[in-house]
Amino acid sequence: MVSINDLNRINSYEWEIPQSFRADMRVPVRIFASEKLLKDVTRDKSLEQAVNACALPGLVGSVMVMPDMHQGYGFPIGGVAATKYPEGVISPGGIGYDINCGVRLLGSRLSYQEIKPYLDDLATALSQFCPSGVGKSGHLRLSASEVEDVCREGSRWAKKKGYASDQDLRRTEESGHIRGANPRYLSPRALKRGRNQVGSLGAGNHFIEIDLVSEIYDRQAAQVMGLREGDITLQIHCGSRGLGHQVCSDYVKSLQQAVHRYGIKLPDRSLVCAPLDSPEGEAYLSAMSCAANYAFANRQVLSHYAREAFESVLVGKVKDWHLYQIYDVAHNIGKIETHQIGGKLIKVCVHRKGATRAFGPGADDLPSEYKKIGQPVLVPGSMGTSSWVLCGTKEAMQRSLGSCCHGAGRVMSRTKAKKTIWGEDLRKQLENDGIIIRAGSMAGLAEEAPAAYKDVDAVVDTVINAGIATKVARLKPLVVIKG
Amino acid sequence: MIKDKKAGFEELAHTADLEIRVWGKDLVSLFRQAAAGMIQLSGVEELEEGISSVQQNISIEAMDFEGLLILFLEELLYRLTEDYMVYEIQKLSVTNEYTLKAELKGAQIKSYQRDIKAVTYHNLNIRTTADGYEVNIVFDI
Repeated sequence: MVSINDLNRINSYEWEIPQSFRADMRVPVRIFASEKLLKDVTRDKSLEQAVNACALPGLVGSVMVMPDMHQGYGFPIGGVAATKYPEGVISPGGIGYDINCGVRLLGSRLSYQEIKPYLDDLATALSQFCPSGVGKSGHLRLSASEVEDVCREGSRWAKKKGYASDQDLRRTEESGHIRGANPRYLSPRALKRGRNQVGSLGAGNHFIEIDLVSEIYDRQAAQVMGLREGDITLQIHCGSRGLGHQVCSDYVKSLQQAVHRYGIKLPDRSLVCAPLDSPEGEAYLSAMSCAANYAFANRQVLSHYAREAFESVLVGKVKDWHLYQIYDVAHNIGKIETHQIGGKLIKVCVHRKGATRAFGPGADDLPSEYKKIGQPVLVPGSMGTSSWVLCGTKEAMQRSLGSCCHGAGRVMSRTKAKKTIWGEDLRKQLENDGIIIRAGSMAGLAEEAPAAYKDVDAVVDTVINAGIATKVARLKPLVVIKG
Repeated sequence: MIKDKKAGFEELAHTADLEIRVWGKDLVSLFRQAAAGMIQLSGVEELEEGISSVQQNISIEAMDFEGLLILFLEELLYRLTEDYMVYEIQKLSVTNEYTLKAELKGAQIKSYQRDIKAVTYHNLNIRTTADGYEVNIVFDI
């Protein structure tokens, strides 16, 4: 177990577990957390998991963990690790089963006052237009070759089919299309699972939310993103569905052998990996990119359905019901990027597992309007609590591989949440707070109760104080759709 | 939870995912309990009526018993989530060469309550105990 005494305090918001802590560590662990959040963290195994991750061959810099960290499998959730390209390794356990789980934020010119009378209808329309729930399919039935197209092209496929605009694509990480995605690296099962799930939300912590822009902290950045206090926005949180889970399972299995072949010693088998330049590593990178593209297309098609839902309710009642893209960003992904590490520019594979890319002003891959302010970073809160729009900073590029937190982070187990919180009580409580809920399952709702999560405001304050992001706006939930 | 002391499973608290502890007098009963535990976690409720059950055989190879357990559970999970099928394990054999053979009788289900994304290798270690075998399994959800 790692205890607080094993940590070196760098400053109020940064801590280090030195490489000397355990013999198999190749780099230190860098923790972004306030002292209070750190106490939450030492209650579960997240720091031990971060130490385990330090054993991966080819790591550079340090393994970082964000303040919303919690125990996962292999890597902790909230982990960021870079391995040297191409001789370092890529590890599916450093990316997660839900490849390119991420968040999309859409803005509007609708004021709260204007749509207040229609919120209930909007909740119903969203839950009808946007398929959600355990094991639920979307509206589309794709052929095997169409699934391959989605995997190769991501949001570009969605645009060809009429589900996306140019601006949607421009304002998506990697423009919604990661190169090098070759579906021949997907198993028949992965492809089969992809056929019915484009444009579906799934269950668990995934959601669609209508939010109110309740506070603006950075007028200039908010203006560039088109955010105005008192207007409403829409958030979509989901990933690559069954196809992505299957890709991860398939490669965790096949890489078990690769680890033996390349003589890699690991403290935990869920950290299995392969060198990026090995046939196994190349195959996983390509398959992972396929799943990431699938997730971009999935959120894009869901955005299209959300726009249709808004139109169906608001046509003839308000002047402008359009939902425009602010940004779409992944928080479970491996990316080939170039970073300044130890004074040198190095090409690396950045693993982000429950961590959001947070590129600073001027970074490549940002649309021209965001080059001035930095990349929008979307940090959803737990159900019923605020979400945050932040911006990446130059300091994030230097200190956190252009990465930031991804949410609130769990503190309570699902079993405990279910025992202590009743779904129906929670729904009433949220409705008393003026939040409209549409949920597939009451037990599922209880597991995602706000009390099961850390305080997202404290998480956000930590990354702000650490300098790896700046505050732009706070969003307050009005309508929550859960599977 | 199954109350049999010789074989059973129980759900443990895990911050973000689901974890079960499974025990059995031999590997076959351990694997059976693990399958039963996973199906219980996924919250299968009702069987579809009027559809006759189907007989299926599966055979799996792995590098060790842990790998075999994961592949066996993943196979059942895939069939549950993709085909809406649950299975009664009629015969099961596990060899020391890390192969598994099972005769399954499947039934269509109407729905299940929880998406299990995957069976993970996290700290997966089949241990011998005074009464047989024991393992903790973490499911990603």
